Amino acid sequence: MLEFHTEKFIIPIGPQHPALKEPGHFEFTVDGETVTGATMRLGYVHRGIEKGVEGRNWTQAMYMLERVCGICSHVHATAFVLGVERLANVQVPPRAQAIRTLVGELERIHSHLLWLGVAAHEGGFDTLFMFSWRDRETVMDLLEELSGNRVHYSLNVIGGVKVDITDEIREHLLKGMDYLEERCKYYLNVISTDETFLGRTRGVGLMTLQQAEDLGAVGPTARASGVQRDIRIDAPYAGYSQFPVRLVTESTGDLHARFVVRIKELFESFRLIRLILANLPESELTTRVPRRIPAGETISRVEAPRGELFYYIKSNGNEYPERVKVRTPSLCNWSSVIVLAPGHKLADMPMLLSGIDPCFSCNDRMITIRHTDSNRTWSWEQLRQYGIEYYR
Amino acid sequence: MNLTVPPLVAILFFPGGLFLLFSGLMYEWIDRKLVARFQNRIGPRLIQPFADLIKLLAKEEVVPQGVNAALFILLPVIAMAGALTAALYIPMIGLQPSYSFQGDLIVTLYLLSLMTICSGLAGANTLDRFSLVGATRTLTQLFSYEAPFLLALLGPALAASSWQINEINQFAQNNPWMILTQPIGFFVALVGLMGKLELPPFDAPEAETEIVAGAMTEYSGRGYALFRLGRNIELVIGLGLVASFYLGGVNNPVDFLLKTLGMLVFLAALQSLFARLRIDQTVGLWWRVGALLGLLQFLFLLVLR
Repeated sequence: MLEFHTEKFIIPIGPQHPALKEPGHFEFTVDGETVTGATMRLGYVHRGIEKGVEGRNWTQAMYMLERVCGICSHVHATAFVLGVERLANVQVPPRAQAIRTLVGELERIHSHLLWLGVAAHEGGFDTLFMFSWRDRETVMDLLEELSGNRVHYSLNVIGGVKVDITDEIREHLLKGMDYLEERCKYYLNVISTDETFLGRTRGVGLMTLQQAEDLGAVGPTARASGVQRDIRIDAPYAGYSQFPVRLVTESTGDLHARFVVRIKELFESFRLIRLILANLPESELTTRVPRRIPAGETISRVEAPRGELFYYIKSNGNEYPERVKVRTPSLCNWSSVIVLAPGHKLADMPMLLSGIDPCFSCNDRMITIRHTDSNRTWSWEQLRQYGIEYYR
Repeated sequence: MNLTVPPLVAILFFPGGLFLLFSGLMYEWIDRKLVARFQNRIGPRLIQPFADLIKLLAKEEVVPQGVNAALFILLPVIAMAGALTAALYIPMIGLQPSYSFQGDLIVTLYLLSLMTICSGLAGANTLDRFSLVGATRTLTQLFSYEAPFLLALLGPALAASSWQINEINQFAQNNPWMILTQPIGFFVALVGLMGKLELPPFDAPEAETEIVAGAMTEYSGRGYALFRLGRNIELVIGLGLVASFYLGGVNNPVDFLLKTLGMLVFLAALQSLFARLRIDQTVGLWWRVGALLGLLQFLFLLVLR
């Protein structure tokens, strides 16, 4: 009987599982339907982008870093170019900064609507999933009209932006914002009044303010627990000092609060986009930046849709970056899932996981076990060869 | 409508057998299409359920390690056979039931439950962890909706003073629609049917985002096809049963189609309206609300008789 009790019943979620859109591995120890323990493992989609960037020049590096994330591509490029511009000590024209901000907010809308759909699907609310993804097409079309691409807009260049806002696009943007605002009011109403949905979100995954601080949560996940932190306000970048945003927080800290915070952030985005369109500064779009960036190091912080995105950039005065370090917001939020999971029902796990809006491939790390007796350093060529051999 | 067909034809072709399989697939298509339209999707083409079935039947059936192979292969057959047999006691397409005897209502209900029990056993038979959790949930759900569902169908039986489906159907035709006299019973029966068929929001036993396909995870090919087909047939039978009890009986094919499809539209709307209930919420809902309402209705009937 003793043995029976010590035996653990583990439900594996991943690396391949219908709940996961990207590979990751979670093991939930369950007692009946109740989760008693959780562990996770990353490292299935490590792509070596940081190392890859070192072999490319500054301009190429930007396009590569845009590929870190398929959802928030613009914010990665923005973080990188802001850092590089600071190293090069160039002043970017205000119109370019405003357009960066505008697209950053459009991207936030598309990301949050995507998340709303995914999170609703995890809770078995497929109708909300279908509706929010339909409406997301509006903002995708606007981004395509603006930049020519739906996902990797690539409208940043080092020293400015590539595209301008014409009167026609301005009209379409305003019309799109009106439609989306109407829809988001409806969604806010749905998630706050639908009894079955509230049954799945209210009181689930409760994270207190203290816990959020201790676990280092960032972004909407932290703000849903009342953490007063938003890089757009704390350390305004690009056009955010000229067009300030208001902080959106909730105090309850459960899944429902995370839904509410994200949808309310959308209203803030709509307001900001209208404000920028009404007060777009007149100026050039780009400024000249030297091919070789002066030696030095800097950090660059921006508020991605999922939270604080952190870049460390080091230059040795060459055409190539010496080192670029990326820390994406998902990495900071994982611990909250693992800590909050015990005590919940197994059915809550997919929603709890998606509640932080995880992005697997952008935070992935390579895992290698270092034995105490070996003190080996791997060169890039060795790593590459190891990878080729491993997957042969 | 009274149409006599030879017993063998009734079992193999019409109204049982092949015709039943066909109508099951058609009802599945209508259900999927309606849900898709409610969700702002285009939905499957008419031949999609048939294509799915043929594809599954053509696939290799993998018998996983660690299962009782005989049970693994037999369970879907038994489930399907139960559903097909149940159809013989129902006024399918508004015709006289092929077979009828005093007490066939109870037999039919048991035959319909066979499906759920089989899929629960099928899940418990394998070593797969998703299947085991799915099986536990399937059986837990069985114990939660079965009592209210039974109570809801006993209401009309009580009113008609008969245990015979055919007699209750006759009684329903000659009296006011029982949806008006027993509205709670109708609602409990319809929602109970959703629980029986594991339709959203009662799809916790096969919640794909948690436990992949629940008890069915290890099934592929023929076994899975049979389980799916059995469930489709249950949809037709269940709708027919509720229509003949609560919606003034069914007497001819048009009558049957109108009433069952009307209810299917309602079911599809309910399916797209809610988020999935957790299994503990499902159990709570059925015992705290469903069973109590069913009992209340039952009490009313007993007092007013």
